[in-house]
Amino acid sequence: MQWIPEYRDDVPRVERFNLLARSTHWIHTVTFLLCLFTGLALFLRADWLAVIFGGFRGAGLVHRIAAVVMTVTILTAMVIGVKGVIAWLKDLLRFGMNDIGFLLKFPAEFLGLKVKIPPQTRFNGGEKMNSMVTPTMVFLLMISGWIIWWPSIWWPGLVRASYWIHDIAMILATIMVSMHAYLGSFHPGSGESFWGMWKGTVRADWAQHHHTIWYDETYGEKAQAEAE
Amino acid sequence: MARQMTNLFDSSKCTACRGCFSACKNSNQMPALFDRSYFGGPGNGTYDSKDGDTDAETLTMIRFNETEDPVDGVRWNFLKWQCMHCVDPICLKVCPKGAYTKLDWGCTFHDEEKCIGCQYCTYACPFGIPKYRKRTDTVTKCTLCYERVAEGLQPACAQTCAPGAIKFGYRDELLEEARERVKYLRVNGFPRATIYGETELGTGTNKLYILTDTPDKFGLPVKPQIEGNTIFWQNWVQPYFGWLIPIALGASALSFVTSRVIANKNKEYEGHAEGGHE
Ligand code: HEM
Ligand code: SF4
Ligand code: SF4
Ligand code: SF4
Repeated sequence: MQWIPEYRDDVPRVERFNLLARSTHWIHTVTFLLCLFTGLALFLRADWLAVIFGGFRGAGLVHRIAAVVMTVTILTAMVIGVKGVIAWLKDLLRFGMNDIGFLLKFPAEFLGLKVKIPPQTRFNGGEKMNSMVTPTMVFLLMISGWIIWWPSIWWPGLVRASYWIHDIAMILATIMVSMHAYLGSFHPGSGESFWGMWKGTVRADWAQHHHTIWYDETYGEKAQAEAE
Repeated sequence: MARQMTNLFDSSKCTACRGCFSACKNSNQMPALFDRSYFGGPGNGTYDSKDGDTDAETLTMIRFNETEDPVDGVRWNFLKWQCMHCVDPICLKVCPKGAYTKLDWGCTFHDEEKCIGCQYCTYACPFGIPKYRKRTDTVTKCTLCYERVAEGLQPACAQTCAPGAIKFGYRDELLEEARERVKYLRVNGFPRATIYGETELGTGTNKLYILTDTPDKFGLPVKPQIEGNTIFWQNWVQPYFGWLIPIALGASALSFVTSRVIANKNKEYEGHAEGGHE
């Protein structure tokens, strides 16, 4: 059984994510998962999870270290890569009929049925959803997390609210992340997506097929002509 | 359940000598903190410590509440302040480490060995009692001197109290005594005298007070309650919301199977490498 498509460099490829986007993505992945499993030890009151990190104190320490790395990475990347962030937000705001079409037909594709999907921009309807929900939840996690860490400097009501905000944001983010991780790798319909985030490039024919609008605007004949 | 035991504090007998405060520190081997005044905090300068609070090295203290009344004139209301040992304690419920247990004789026992200092209990407690202590990275609170009680002794504060304002014993007996005392006080110059702790928070607190005036005149919450944020978190988010995660994981697993089964049936599995959907 094939898990993900093989990486081929004998065919034309186009860039999808630059180095900054990719490193931020993967540092966030690692720190998120560290925070998740150390946090779940407390949320589920699971001794067996805490043991992996050397007990609850160890888990708390890992949680905090990962939290600092995550916060610093995200904030730095947003400053250095402000152009990319703006381009990304602009693409999210291009939410149109094609995205609604995507979302309506997606459940069938998710299960593996063949469907005709309307042309997509750089991020398809599902990716747009993920791009809106996950970062929002991660920001809520960071804000509530820092409040929980240093409770005495805040208004007590805010600390109490932070406890359930941290939990709900963790739950929603984890739902999105687990679906996203699967769709970005093992889901047969997603094809080259994984290589876009791992190596930075995707096959040109795949890009043209899956993200027609983005491909035409960025690498199509008109765009090429303009660039020259 | 064993017969409940507790401390009864009678505000009409307390002279604010703060012997209990010293005895408690001594018994629990807690240092004196010279950087804060127990009379109301730095800069306050008066004897009014109604806003004073216990801290990580001070499990109990006497609060000075100055009240002014057109009939009675100025009065000092003294209150011994510490953990109330709630009958149904919320600190016990929110603690992710199970550091709290209710001892069968009524003490809300906090196990410092288990505590990781997250302070969830501090913000859940309707009296804000557990205090964070940096040097141990745990919280601390009144222990009701459970070790002394186990040996048949009284809590240190009760034993030391010269005017007999703190009395340790069986809760039912102490409640009877308190009722009699309140009756007496009401006809002897304290018409608003009352018991505090019998029914507060619905099920009551183990700790009992005889107050010479209404609770607000002692800086006590008249209707102590658990905050809505804490109830929502503990009764809804904690037990139920987490189930959404296995549902998402299950959906992915289902898709993993069905998409491959369907693709194999259509003999189009190569479609994966070629770019997926049409
Ligand atoms: C990025 C900044 C973050 C900070 C500063 C932060 C901080 C904290 C702190 C201080 C606690 C209290 C527990 C303890 O003392 O060890 C906590 C609990 C927790 N955190 Fe985080 N966290 C962050 C991110 C995350 C992320 C990304 C996740 C999950 C994906 C997460 C999930 C949890 C969970 C599940 C708990 C336990 C909640 C409970 O006991 O109900 N946190 N966090
Ligand atoms: S007063 Fe606070 S710390 Fe003490 S038993 Fe009640 S909830 Fe727990
Ligand atoms: S600070 Fe300690 S006792 Fe309080 S909730 Fe956290 S682990 Fe439990
Ligand atoms: S019962 Fe013990 S720990 Fe509690 S206030 Fe009295 S002396 Fe201090």
